[in-house]
Amino acid sequence: MYLDLNEHIVNIVIRSLYVSGVASLLAFITAIVLCYYYSGRSRRSIDLIASIFEALVGVPTTIIGLLVYYLLYPNGPLGFMRLLYTPYAIIIGQFLVALPIAVVSLIRQFYNVRKRIRELILSLGLQSSRVEIILVLRELTPILASTYLLAFSRCIGELGVAMIAGGAIEGYTSVLTTTIAVQTSMGNFEEALVLGLVLISLTLLTAILIKSLSKILAGAFHYE
Amino acid sequence: MKILVDNVWYSYDGVTYALRNINIYLTEPGIYLITGPNGAGKTTLLKVISLLLKPTIGRILIEGVDYWNSSSVEKTRLKSTIIFVHDKPLLVRGSVEYNVSLGLKLKGLSSNDIIDYYIKRYNLSDVRNKSIYKLSAGQLKAASIIRALVLRPKLLALDEPFTFLDNTRVKLLIEDLLNLADKGSIVIVASHYIYRDLVEKCKGVIELFMGELLSLKIK
Ligand SMILES: Nc1ncnc2c1ncn2[C@@H]1O[C@H](COP(=O)(O)OP(=O)(O)OP(=O)(O)O)[C@@H](O)[C@H]1O
Ligand SMILES: [Mg+2]
Repeated sequence: MYLDLNEHIVNIVIRSLYVSGVASLLAFITAIVLCYYYSGRSRRSIDLIASIFEALVGVPTTIIGLLVYYLLYPNGPLGFMRLLYTPYAIIIGQFLVALPIAVVSLIRQFYNVRKRIRELILSLGLQSSRVEIILVLRELTPILASTYLLAFSRCIGELGVAMIAGGAIEGYTSVLTTTIAVQTSMGNFEEALVLGLVLISLTLLTAILIKSLSKILAGAFHYE
Repeated sequence: MKILVDNVWYSYDGVTYALRNINIYLTEPGIYLITGPNGAGKTTLLKVISLLLKPTIGRILIEGVDYWNSSSVEKTRLKSTIIFVHDKPLLVRGSVEYNVSLGLKLKGLSSNDIIDYYIKRYNLSDVRNKSIYKLSAGQLKAASIIRALVLRPKLLALDEPFTFLDNTRVKLLIEDLLNLADKGSIVIVASHYIYRDLVEKCKGVIELFMGELLSLKIK
Protein backbone atom coordinates (compact mmCIF):
# COMPACT_ATOMS: atom_id res chain seq x y z
CA MET A 1 0.00 0.00 0.00
CA TYR A 2 1.29 3.45 -0.87
CA LEU A 3 0.93 6.13 1.77
CA ASP A 4 1.27 9.75 0.73
CA LEU A 5 3.19 10.89 3.79
CA ASN A 6 6.22 13.20 3.73
CA GLU A 7 7.90 10.90 6.18
CA HIS A 8 8.04 7.12 6.32
CA ILE A 9 5.45 5.67 8.65
CA VAL A 10 8.09 3.57 10.42
CA ASN A 11 9.94 6.73 11.46
CA ILE A 12 6.76 8.15 12.95
CA VAL A 13 6.08 4.94 14.84
CA ILE A 14 9.64 4.78 16.17
CA ARG A 15 9.53 8.42 17.25
CA SER A 16 6.18 7.88 18.98
CA LEU A 17 7.49 4.84 20.82
CA TYR A 18 10.70 6.62 21.81
CA VAL A 19 9.10 9.86 23.04
CA SER A 20 6.27 8.16 24.92
CA GLY A 21 8.54 5.40 26.18
CA VAL A 22 10.96 7.88 27.74
CA ALA A 23 8.20 10.13 29.11
CA SER A 24 6.31 7.26 30.70
CA LEU A 25 9.49 5.73 32.12
CA LEU A 26 10.43 9.03 33.78
CA ALA A 27 6.89 9.42 35.16
CA PHE A 28 6.94 5.83 36.37
CA ILE A 29 10.23 6.19 38.24
CA THR A 30 9.15 9.52 39.74
CA ALA A 31 5.87 7.95 40.86
CA ILE A 32 7.70 5.08 42.57
CA VAL A 33 10.00 7.46 44.43
CA LEU A 34 7.07 9.70 45.45
CA CYS A 35 4.90 6.79 46.53
CA TYR A 36 7.64 5.12 48.51
CA TYR A 37 8.48 8.41 50.19
CA TYR A 38 4.87 9.06 51.19
CA SER A 39 3.96 5.46 52.00
CA GLY A 40 5.41 5.82 55.48
CA ARG A 41 2.88 8.56 56.31
CA SER A 42 -0.51 8.17 57.96
CA ARG A 43 -3.57 6.74 56.27
CA ARG A 44 -5.10 10.23 56.19
CA SER A 45 -2.16 11.80 54.32
CA ILE A 46 -2.27 8.97 51.82
CA ASP A 47 -5.96 9.61 51.17
CA LEU A 48 -5.24 13.32 50.72
CA ILE A 49 -2.33 12.75 48.31
CA ALA A 50 -4.34 10.15 46.40
CA SER A 51 -7.30 12.49 45.93
CA ILE A 52 -5.04 15.33 44.76
CA PHE A 53 -3.51 13.11 42.10
CA GLU A 54 -6.92 11.64 41.23
CA ALA A 55 -8.06 15.18 40.46
CA LEU A 56 -4.93 15.80 38.39
CA VAL A 57 -5.69 12.74 36.24
CA GLY A 58 -8.69 14.69 34.95
CA VAL A 59 -6.70 17.66 33.65
CA PRO A 60 -7.07 17.65 29.84
CA THR A 61 -3.87 17.04 27.90
CA THR A 62 -4.45 20.23 25.92
CA ILE A 63 -4.24 22.20 29.16
CA ILE A 64 -0.98 20.45 30.00
CA GLY A 65 0.23 21.20 26.45
CA LEU A 66 -0.67 24.82 27.01
CA LEU A 67 1.22 24.88 30.29
CA VAL A 68 4.34 23.40 28.70
CA TYR A 69 4.00 25.85 25.80
CA TYR A 70 3.80 28.75 28.24
CA LEU A 71 6.84 27.50 30.18
CA LEU A 72 8.99 26.91 27.09
CA TYR A 73 7.84 29.85 24.95
CA PRO A 74 10.93 31.97 24.04
CA ASN A 75 9.83 34.71 26.45
CA GLY A 76 8.51 32.21 29.01
CA PRO A 77 10.12 31.23 32.33
CA LEU A 78 12.10 28.37 30.75
CA GLY A 79 12.35 29.89 27.27
CA PHE A 80 16.14 30.12 27.48
CA MET A 81 16.30 26.33 27.21
CA ARG A 82 15.03 26.51 23.62
CA LEU A 83 13.01 23.34 23.98
CA LEU A 84 9.71 24.40 22.42
CA TYR A 85 8.81 22.38 19.34
CA THR A 86 11.37 19.68 20.10
CA PRO A 87 10.76 16.04 21.10
CA TYR A 88 11.92 17.06 24.58
CA ALA A 89 8.97 19.41 24.92
CA ILE A 90 6.67 16.47 24.22
CA ILE A 91 8.54 14.32 26.72
CA ILE A 92 8.13 16.97 29.43
CA GLY A 93 4.43 17.34 28.68
CA GLN A 94 3.73 13.61 28.49
CA PHE A 95 5.65 13.15 31.72
CA LEU A 96 3.14 15.50 33.34
CA VAL A 97 0.28 13.64 31.68
CA ALA A 98 1.44 10.23 32.93
CA LEU A 99 2.64 11.12 36.42
CA PRO A 100 -0.76 11.54 38.11
CA ILE A 101 -2.15 8.29 36.75
CA ALA A 102 0.99 6.40 37.80
CA VAL A 103 0.81 7.85 41.31
CA VAL A 104 -2.90 7.07 41.62
CA SER A 105 -2.28 3.52 40.50
CA LEU A 106 0.50 2.99 43.05
CA ILE A 107 0.05 5.07 46.16
CA ARG A 108 -2.48 3.04 48.12
CA GLN A 109 -0.77 -0.20 47.14
CA PHE A 110 2.55 1.14 48.41
CA TYR A 111 0.93 2.18 51.67
CA ASN A 112 -0.78 -1.16 52.31
CA VAL A 113 2.12 -3.32 51.25
CA ARG A 114 4.70 -1.28 53.12
CA LYS A 115 2.66 -1.53 56.31
CA ARG A 116 2.51 -5.32 55.97
CA ILE A 117 6.18 -5.66 55.04
CA ARG A 118 7.30 -3.45 57.92
CA GLU A 119 5.26 -5.58 60.31
CA LEU A 120 6.76 -8.72 58.78
CA ILE A 121 10.33 -7.47 59.08
CA LEU A 122 9.84 -6.47 62.71
CA SER A 123 8.24 -9.82 63.51
CA LEU A 124 11.32 -11.55 62.10
CA GLY A 125 13.57 -9.60 64.44
CA LEU A 126 14.98 -7.31 61.76
CA GLN A 127 14.99 -3.58 61.24
CA SER A 128 16.57 -2.69 57.95
CA SER A 129 15.26 -0.09 55.53
CA ARG A 130 17.18 -1.71 52.69
CA VAL A 131 15.38 -5.02 53.21
CA GLU A 132 12.12 -3.09 53.52
CA ILE A 133 12.51 -1.37 50.14
CA ILE A 134 13.50 -4.58 48.38
CA LEU A 135 10.62 -6.58 49.81
CA VAL A 136 8.06 -3.84 49.07
CA LEU A 137 9.18 -3.57 45.43
CA ARG A 138 9.28 -7.33 45.10
CA GLU A 139 5.78 -7.65 46.47
CA LEU A 140 4.53 -4.93 44.12
CA THR A 141 6.19 -6.21 40.93
CA PRO A 142 2.95 -7.13 39.10
CA ILE A 143 1.39 -3.77 39.92
CA LEU A 144 4.54 -1.93 38.92
CA ALA A 145 4.44 -3.61 35.51
CA SER A 146 0.82 -2.76 34.88
CA THR A 147 1.35 0.80 36.08
CA TYR A 148 4.16 1.34 33.62
CA LEU A 149 2.04 0.07 30.75
CA LEU A 150 -0.83 2.25 31.87
CA ALA A 151 1.43 5.31 31.84
CA PHE A 152 2.82 4.36 28.46
CA SER A 153 -0.53 3.89 26.77
CA ARG A 154 -1.71 7.20 28.13
CA CYS A 155 1.35 8.94 26.69
CA ILE A 156 1.27 7.39 23.25
CA GLY A 157 -2.43 8.10 22.84
CA GLU A 158 -2.47 11.76 23.83
CA LEU A 159 -2.69 14.58 21.29
CA GLY A 160 -2.79 17.87 23.20
CA VAL A 161 0.81 18.01 24.35
CA ALA A 162 2.31 16.62 21.14
CA MET A 163 0.39 19.19 19.08
CA ILE A 164 0.77 22.32 21.20
CA ALA A 165 4.25 21.83 22.68
CA GLY A 166 5.67 19.59 19.95
CA GLY A 167 4.29 21.43 16.99
CA ALA A 168 3.89 18.34 14.77
CA ILE A 169 6.95 19.19 12.70
CA GLU A 170 7.39 16.55 9.99
CA GLY A 171 10.51 14.51 10.40
CA TYR A 172 11.20 16.01 13.83
CA THR A 173 8.32 16.13 16.28
CA SER A 174 5.39 14.56 14.49
CA VAL A 175 4.06 11.48 16.24
CA LEU A 176 1.18 9.13 15.44
CA THR A 177 -1.59 11.20 17.01
CA THR A 178 -0.48 14.51 15.51
CA THR A 179 0.01 12.99 12.08
CA ILE A 180 -3.52 11.58 12.20
CA ALA A 181 -4.86 15.00 13.08
CA VAL A 182 -2.86 16.74 10.35
CA GLN A 183 -3.69 14.20 7.64
CA THR A 184 -7.38 14.31 8.51
CA SER A 185 -7.44 18.10 8.32
CA MET A 186 -5.83 17.87 4.87
CA GLY A 187 -8.49 15.45 3.73
CA ASN A 188 -6.11 12.45 3.50
CA PHE A 189 -8.47 10.01 5.10
CA GLU A 190 -6.72 6.89 3.86
CA GLU A 191 -3.42 7.91 5.49
CA ALA A 192 -5.17 8.96 8.65
CA LEU A 193 -7.03 5.69 8.78
CA VAL A 194 -3.89 3.57 8.40
CA LEU A 195 -2.11 5.57 11.08
CA GLY A 196 -5.16 5.24 13.28
CA LEU A 197 -5.07 1.47 12.88
CA VAL A 198 -1.38 1.41 13.77
CA LEU A 199 -2.08 3.48 16.89
CA ILE A 200 -4.98 1.29 17.90
CA SER A 201 -2.86 -1.82 17.41
CA LEU A 202 -0.13 -0.40 19.62
CA THR A 203 -2.62 0.62 22.30
CA LEU A 204 -4.41 -2.70 22.07
CA LEU A 205 -1.14 -4.56 22.38
CA THR A 206 -0.39 -2.63 25.56
CA ALA A 207 -3.89 -3.27 26.85
CA ILE A 208 -3.50 -7.01 26.29
CA LEU A 209 -0.21 -6.88 28.14
CA ILE A 210 -1.88 -5.03 31.03
CA LYS A 211 -4.74 -7.51 31.06
CA SER A 212 -2.53 -10.56 31.24
CA LEU A 213 -0.37 -8.92 33.85
CA SER A 214 -3.33 -7.95 35.99
CA LYS A 215 -4.50 -11.55 35.86
CA ILE A 216 -1.29 -12.69 37.48
CA LEU A 217 -1.68 -9.68 39.74
CA ALA A 218 -5.20 -10.55 40.83
CA GLY A 219 -4.03 -14.01 41.81
CA ALA A 220 -1.01 -12.58 43.52
CA PHE A 221 -2.89 -10.12 45.67
CA HIS A 222 -5.92 -12.18 46.39
CA TYR A 223 -4.62 -13.14 49.79
CA GLU A 224 -4.55 -10.37 52.39
CA MET B 1 16.69 -14.68 78.33
CA LYS B 2 14.97 -12.63 81.02
CA ILE B 3 12.02 -10.37 80.26
CA LEU B 4 10.64 -7.76 82.60
CA VAL B 5 7.37 -6.07 81.75
CA ASP B 6 7.45 -3.09 84.06
CA ASN B 7 4.25 -1.13 84.71
CA VAL B 8 3.22 -1.27 81.04
CA TRP B 9 0.25 0.64 79.65
CA TYR B 10 -0.62 0.64 75.98
CA SER B 11 -3.06 2.77 74.02
CA TYR B 12 -3.70 2.56 70.27
CA ASP B 13 -5.64 5.80 70.03
CA GLY B 14 -4.40 7.84 72.99
CA VAL B 15 -7.84 7.68 74.57
CA THR B 16 -8.55 4.15 75.78
CA TYR B 17 -5.98 1.71 77.10
CA ALA B 18 -5.76 -1.81 75.67
CA LEU B 19 -3.26 -2.68 78.41
CA ARG B 20 -3.29 -1.26 81.91
CA ASN B 21 -0.57 -1.53 84.51
CA ILE B 22 0.92 -4.86 83.45
CA ASN B 23 3.79 -6.26 85.51
CA ILE B 24 5.32 -9.58 84.54
CA TYR B 25 8.76 -11.03 85.09
CA LEU B 26 9.79 -14.06 83.08
CA THR B 27 13.15 -15.51 84.02
CA GLU B 28 13.02 -19.23 83.27
CA PRO B 29 12.85 -20.86 79.88
CA GLY B 30 9.56 -22.57 79.14
CA ILE B 31 6.19 -22.08 77.55
CA TYR B 32 3.97 -19.32 78.88
CA LEU B 33 0.34 -18.93 77.96
CA ILE B 34 -1.52 -15.67 77.65
CA THR B 35 -5.24 -16.28 77.92
CA GLY B 36 -8.36 -14.17 78.11
CA PRO B 37 -11.52 -13.43 76.14
CA ASN B 38 -11.62 -11.61 72.79
CA GLY B 39 -10.38 -8.07 73.12
CA ALA B 40 -8.70 -8.71 76.47
CA GLY B 41 -5.37 -7.44 75.13
CA LYS B 42 -3.55 -10.72 74.44
CA THR B 43 -2.28 -9.71 71.01
CA THR B 44 -1.34 -6.27 72.27
CA LEU B 45 0.65 -7.66 75.20
CA LEU B 46 2.36 -10.18 72.97
CA LYS B 47 3.38 -7.43 70.53
CA VAL B 48 4.64 -5.22 73.33
CA ILE B 49 6.74 -8.08 74.72
CA SER B 50 8.03 -8.90 71.21
CA LEU B 51 9.06 -5.26 70.73
CA LEU B 52 6.63 -4.64 67.85
CA LEU B 53 4.73 -2.05 69.86
CA LYS B 54 6.29 0.54 72.13
CA PRO B 55 4.51 0.84 75.49
CA THR B 56 2.70 4.13 75.95
CA ILE B 57 3.78 4.06 79.59
CA GLY B 58 6.27 1.71 81.23
CA ARG B 59 9.34 -0.24 80.20
CA ILE B 60 10.31 -3.55 78.65
CA LEU B 61 13.61 -4.89 79.91
CA ILE B 62 15.30 -7.61 77.91
CA GLU B 63 18.30 -9.11 79.68
CA GLY B 64 18.15 -6.12 81.97
CA VAL B 65 18.34 -3.61 79.09
CA ASP B 66 15.55 -1.07 78.68
CA TYR B 67 14.89 -1.78 74.99
CA TRP B 68 13.11 1.41 73.93
CA ASN B 69 15.77 3.58 75.57
CA SER B 70 18.79 1.73 74.25
CA SER B 71 21.17 2.56 71.41
CA SER B 72 20.32 1.41 67.90
CA VAL B 73 23.17 -1.11 67.92
CA GLU B 74 21.83 -2.56 71.15
CA LYS B 75 18.30 -2.56 69.71
CA THR B 76 19.38 -4.53 66.65
CA ARG B 77 21.18 -7.06 68.84
CA LEU B 78 18.27 -7.59 71.24
CA LYS B 79 15.66 -7.68 68.51
CA SER B 80 17.41 -10.26 66.36
CA THR B 81 16.65 -13.07 68.80
CA ILE B 82 12.96 -12.25 69.24
CA ILE B 83 10.46 -13.60 66.72
CA PHE B 84 6.73 -12.97 66.56
CA VAL B 85 4.19 -15.03 64.62
CA HIS B 86 1.00 -13.21 63.65
CA ASP B 87 -2.46 -14.70 64.10
CA LYS B 88 -3.18 -13.96 60.43
CA PRO B 89 -0.22 -15.39 58.50
CA LEU B 90 1.90 -12.62 57.04
CA LEU B 91 3.42 -14.10 53.90
CA VAL B 92 4.88 -12.59 50.75
CA ARG B 93 4.38 -13.35 47.08
CA GLY B 94 6.15 -16.56 46.16
CA SER B 95 6.37 -20.24 46.97
CA VAL B 96 6.03 -21.93 50.34
CA GLU B 97 9.73 -22.67 50.30
CA TYR B 98 10.59 -19.03 49.60
CA ASN B 99 8.44 -17.87 52.49
CA VAL B 100 9.64 -20.48 54.92
CA SER B 101 13.28 -19.63 54.25
CA LEU B 102 12.74 -15.86 54.16
CA GLY B 103 13.80 -15.23 57.77
CA LEU B 104 17.01 -17.21 57.35
CA LYS B 105 17.78 -15.54 54.02
CA LEU B 106 17.27 -12.03 55.38
CA LYS B 107 19.60 -12.83 58.25
CA GLY B 108 22.20 -14.03 55.78
CA LEU B 109 21.92 -17.62 56.96
CA SER B 110 20.88 -20.60 55.00
CA SER B 111 20.35 -24.13 56.06
CA ASN B 112 18.39 -26.31 53.71
CA ASP B 113 18.43 -29.28 56.06
CA ILE B 114 16.36 -27.62 58.75
CA ILE B 115 13.90 -26.29 56.16
CA ASP B 116 13.54 -29.73 54.59
CA TYR B 117 13.00 -31.19 58.04
CA TYR B 118 10.17 -28.86 58.98
CA ILE B 119 8.50 -28.94 55.57
CA LYS B 120 8.33 -32.74 55.79
CA ARG B 121 7.33 -32.69 59.44
CA TYR B 122 4.35 -30.40 58.83
CA ASN B 123 3.40 -32.29 55.71
CA LEU B 124 3.98 -29.41 53.30
CA SER B 125 6.17 -31.32 50.83
CA ASP B 126 3.38 -31.45 48.24
CA VAL B 127 2.90 -27.70 48.26
CA ARG B 128 6.55 -26.81 48.72
CA ASN B 129 6.84 -25.08 45.34
CA LYS B 130 3.27 -23.88 45.16
CA SER B 131 2.41 -20.19 45.36
CA ILE B 132 1.13 -19.23 48.79
CA TYR B 133 -2.00 -17.86 47.12
CA LYS B 134 -3.03 -21.43 46.38
CA LEU B 135 -2.77 -22.84 49.89
CA SER B 136 -5.39 -23.75 52.46
CA ALA B 137 -5.69 -21.70 55.63
CA GLY B 138 -3.98 -24.37 57.70
CA GLN B 139 -1.12 -24.70 55.23
CA LEU B 140 -0.58 -20.94 55.33
CA LYS B 141 -0.58 -20.99 59.09
CA ALA B 142 1.90 -23.86 59.21
CA ALA B 143 4.20 -22.08 56.73
CA SER B 144 4.24 -18.91 58.82
CA ILE B 145 5.01 -20.90 61.97
CA ILE B 146 7.81 -22.86 60.32
CA ARG B 147 9.38 -19.62 59.12
CA ALA B 148 9.73 -18.70 62.80
CA LEU B 149 10.76 -22.14 64.10
CA VAL B 150 13.72 -22.47 61.72
CA LEU B 151 15.18 -19.31 63.23
CA ARG B 152 15.44 -20.96 66.68
CA PRO B 153 14.72 -17.69 68.52
CA LYS B 154 15.54 -17.02 72.16
CA LEU B 155 12.05 -15.61 72.53
CA LEU B 156 9.28 -16.93 70.33
CA ALA B 157 5.89 -15.26 70.59
CA LEU B 158 2.96 -16.89 68.83
CA ASP B 159 -0.45 -15.27 68.47
CA GLU B 160 -3.28 -17.83 68.24
CA PRO B 161 -0.94 -20.43 66.69
CA PHE B 162 -3.45 -23.28 66.76
CA THR B 163 -6.28 -21.77 64.76
CA PHE B 164 -6.66 -23.49 61.37
CA LEU B 165 -4.25 -26.28 62.35
CA ASP B 166 -5.53 -29.87 62.44
CA ASN B 167 -4.95 -32.08 65.46
CA THR B 168 -1.85 -33.71 64.01
CA ARG B 169 -0.19 -30.39 63.38
CA VAL B 170 -1.24 -29.03 66.77
CA LYS B 171 0.46 -31.99 68.43
CA LEU B 172 3.60 -31.50 66.36
CA LEU B 173 3.67 -27.81 67.17
CA ILE B 174 3.30 -28.36 70.90
CA GLU B 175 6.16 -30.85 70.69
CA ASP B 176 8.32 -28.36 68.83
CA LEU B 177 7.54 -25.57 71.27
CA LEU B 178 8.43 -27.78 74.24
CA ASN B 179 11.61 -28.75 72.44
CA LEU B 180 12.55 -25.14 71.91
CA ALA B 181 11.82 -24.37 75.56
CA ASP B 182 13.99 -27.31 76.64
CA LYS B 183 16.86 -25.78 74.68
CA GLY B 184 16.55 -22.61 76.77
CA SER B 185 14.11 -20.40 74.89
CA ILE B 186 11.08 -18.60 76.23
CA VAL B 187 7.95 -19.38 74.23
CA ILE B 188 4.87 -17.23 74.75
CA VAL B 189 1.56 -18.37 73.29
CA ALA B 190 -1.48 -16.11 73.20
CA SER B 191 -4.69 -18.00 72.70
CA HIS B 192 -8.24 -18.08 73.93
CA TYR B 193 -8.39 -21.76 73.06
CA ILE B 194 -6.51 -23.74 75.68
CA TYR B 195 -5.21 -27.24 75.02
CA ARG B 196 -5.09 -29.21 78.23
CA ASP B 197 -1.90 -30.85 77.05
CA LEU B 198 -0.25 -27.48 76.83
CA VAL B 199 -1.56 -26.19 80.15
CA GLU B 200 -0.08 -29.21 81.91
CA LYS B 201 3.31 -28.76 80.34
CA CYS B 202 3.61 -24.99 80.41
CA LYS B 203 5.69 -22.97 82.81
CA GLY B 204 3.17 -20.23 83.45
CA VAL B 205 -0.24 -18.81 82.64
CA ILE B 206 -0.90 -15.11 82.23
CA GLU B 207 -4.58 -14.29 82.38
CA LEU B 208 -5.82 -11.01 80.99
CA PHE B 209 -9.21 -9.38 81.27
CA MET B 210 -10.13 -6.03 79.77
CA GLY B 211 -6.52 -4.96 79.51
CA GLU B 212 -5.60 -5.86 83.07
CA LEU B 213 -3.61 -8.70 84.52
CA LEU B 214 -6.19 -10.92 86.18
CA SER B 215 -3.77 -13.56 87.38
CA LEU B 216 -0.22 -14.68 86.88
CA LYS B 217 0.66 -18.25 87.75
CA ILE B 218 4.22 -19.41 87.33
CA LYS B 219 5.21 -22.94 88.29
N1 LIG C 1 -4.80 -1.58 65.63
C1 LIG C 1 -5.67 -1.24 66.61
N2 LIG C 1 -6.15 0.02 66.69
C2 LIG C 1 -7.00 0.37 67.66
N3 LIG C 1 -7.44 -0.45 68.63
C3 LIG C 1 -7.01 -1.71 68.61
C4 LIG C 1 -6.10 -2.18 67.60
N4 LIG C 1 -5.85 -3.47 67.84
C5 LIG C 1 -6.55 -3.81 68.95
N5 LIG C 1 -7.25 -2.76 69.41
C6 LIG C 1 -8.11 -2.77 70.60
O1 LIG C 1 -7.36 -3.14 71.73
C7 LIG C 1 -8.06 -4.05 72.54
C8 LIG C 1 -7.24 -5.32 72.74
O2 LIG C 1 -7.09 -5.96 71.49
P1 LIG C 1 -6.22 -7.26 71.29
O3 LIG C 1 -6.11 -7.47 69.85
O4 LIG C 1 -4.96 -7.12 72.06
O5 LIG C 1 -7.16 -8.35 71.97
P2 LIG C 1 -7.02 -9.93 71.98
O6 LIG C 1 -7.04 -10.34 73.41
O7 LIG C 1 -5.84 -10.34 71.18
O8 LIG C 1 -8.36 -10.39 71.28
P3 LIG C 1 -8.64 -11.68 70.33
O9 LIG C 1 -8.88 -12.85 71.23
O10 LIG C 1 -9.88 -11.29 69.62
O11 LIG C 1 -7.46 -11.85 69.44
C9 LIG C 1 -9.41 -4.30 71.88
O12 LIG C 1 -10.37 -3.54 72.52
C10 LIG C 1 -9.20 -3.80 70.47
O13 LIG C 1 -10.38 -3.23 69.97
MG1 LIG D 1 -5.62 -11.42 69.42
